[in-house]
Amino acid sequence: MKLYQMVVKDIIRRKRRVLFAIIGVIIGTMTVVGIFTIARAGEARMYEQLEKYGPNLTVIPAISNVDVNLGGDLSLGTLSVGENCIPEEKLPEIRRITDNAIREALGIEDEGDIATIAPKLYVNTEVKGVSVMVVGVEPKEESKIKTWWRIREGEYLERADQALVGAVTAELLALNEGDTIALNGTDVTVAGILEETGSNEDYQVFVPLATLQGAFNKEGLISSMDIRALCNACPVIMIADSINNDIPGVRAIAVKQIASAEMDMMGRINRFMLALAGITLAVGLFGVGNTMMRSVNERTKDIGIMRAVGASRNQIMRAFLYEAIIIGVLGGIFGYVAGTLLAFGLGPLLFQISAISYVPQYLPLALGLAISVAVIATIYPAFRATRVKVADSFRSL
Amino acid sequence: MLEIKNVTKIYGEGETKVVALNNVSLRVDKGDFIAVMGPSGSGKSTLLNVIGGLDRLSNGEVTLEGKRIDNLDESAFVDIRRGKIAYVFQQYHLIPSLTALENVLLPLIFAETGGKAERALDILKRVGLEKRAKHKPSQLSGGEQQRVAIARALVNNPLLVLADEPTGNMDQETGGKIMHLFDQLNREGHSIIMVTHNPEIAKYAREIIVLRDGQVIDRINQRGGEQ
Repeated sequence: MKLYQMVVKDIIRRKRRVLFAIIGVIIGTMTVVGIFTIARAGEARMYEQLEKYGPNLTVIPAISNVDVNLGGDLSLGTLSVGENCIPEEKLPEIRRITDNAIREALGIEDEGDIATIAPKLYVNTEVKGVSVMVVGVEPKEESKIKTWWRIREGEYLERADQALVGAVTAELLALNEGDTIALNGTDVTVAGILEETGSNEDYQVFVPLATLQGAFNKEGLISSMDIRALCNACPVIMIADSINNDIPGVRAIAVKQIASAEMDMMGRINRFMLALAGITLAVGLFGVGNTMMRSVNERTKDIGIMRAVGASRNQIMRAFLYEAIIIGVLGGIFGYVAGTLLAFGLGPLLFQISAISYVPQYLPLALGLAISVAVIATIYPAFRATRVKVADSFRSL
Repeated sequence: MLEIKNVTKIYGEGETKVVALNNVSLRVDKGDFIAVMGPSGSGKSTLLNVIGGLDRLSNGEVTLEGKRIDNLDESAFVDIRRGKIAYVFQQYHLIPSLTALENVLLPLIFAETGGKAERALDILKRVGLEKRAKHKPSQLSGGEQQRVAIARALVNNPLLVLADEPTGNMDQETGGKIMHLFDQLNREGHSIIMVTHNPEIAKYAREIIVLRDGQVIDRINQRGGEQ
């Protein structure tokens, strides 16, 4: 038999007392794991929404007043289409500014294009006698930004003489795959029909940019461009500022600014919850410390006996620390399970997050936290235990 | 083996000063079985405390195998308790949550020589309690508990066993059995110093030292012991 085996036996025999200490650890760990799990799910949802917003930046002419829709639910106000256009030759310069800023921010050496820049031309025209917003896009770039697009019927834009039709317009105009529509005299074939997105896109018709420019004699002109940096950490606000400063006649808007307010709120709630978790941990710490202190006091005589039969101070300390580690391990495991269950229970109530998932990497975190709490709480009582002298516990020898 | 030279122990100061031991000298050789007798307050328990390292001396020195042990600090005394000096108490002082066997194993665990259950079981057999190995102290009689305590004291093969009124809590018959065990252990070569106020019990020893007012007033040699 080894010292730790004796400690284990002792713990099994003093189940109830040890259980109190474990519960103290569980409550603290549970709170932290629960909060972390909920916060993680909340953040994931937030990023998911950011993805839906599509671009990180939108560049529009300096004066504008027609509805511009960025996809999702996000409207950027109005933008005037017509004479107020951006010359296409500004695109390379905007790309240069954007890519340089990202390279600098992330320390990328690569010379190739980094950001996705999707130029657009908006033209209001009549199709089959109905006024429709036709959008000229670069098919490849557009698909990278409109990650939420799903094609209900047919396929995505492949050739110059094709059109992709929004769900509502397709229904209104009774358009099907293969139908031909005329845009100011230029015929295009319907290549595919989009699934409903719940946004303005449902009312729009998308054709390749060059086709639309040609049909309406707007060669070299675009109405706006969406820029998508490759990361969530990209310095979009900085990019927007440098575009605004360096390129006259355009206005760059960082979309993330809108989302960041929400992110901020989330961060604040997280910090509050973490403070709460810290307090719970501290309470757990005192709980374990108190139980341990009582255990030392109750076992003063036993400790004296152990000293009398050859235990060193070190061994007494170790015996209590083993006990603390066992309490920490059990508290950590159950705290993790309880915290995950707490997140599943509270997440939907607090943040309307239904997609909570358990996070395996929080198990080592929970264990580390629980063991630390138990060990820290035990250090002083264990130290007191090492000061017990043989003579103190039975003066009579 | 053990030498006590001019040991003085004074408790308190000034008016409340009590001289518990007054210039006591004593030699204990291997195989000795000494009973320390005397009325309450004669200093017999203090003598045992001083030898066992539980009390500091005011003056004098205690040497074990030629090395001073009276000036060792707590942690250095740990080595003395691991195999040189063992205690047997009047109150048995077993750990209630451990079985008899585990209580006997305890010194082996702390000595970190590898807690061999066989060794502990052998000693329990020696004191006639192998069938009680799995019992908790609360399930044992007083005499049985003291046997477990004696087994625990012997398990590390100490040079010297210190026993403080080992039969003080027992009726005469049980006490006699315990003393018989001590006598046998002494014949097997264990050195024992025992404190008692009971002359019947002291008869089992080979030598009786009588203390009064902190001084040795008589030494009775009864070589061969009782019976």
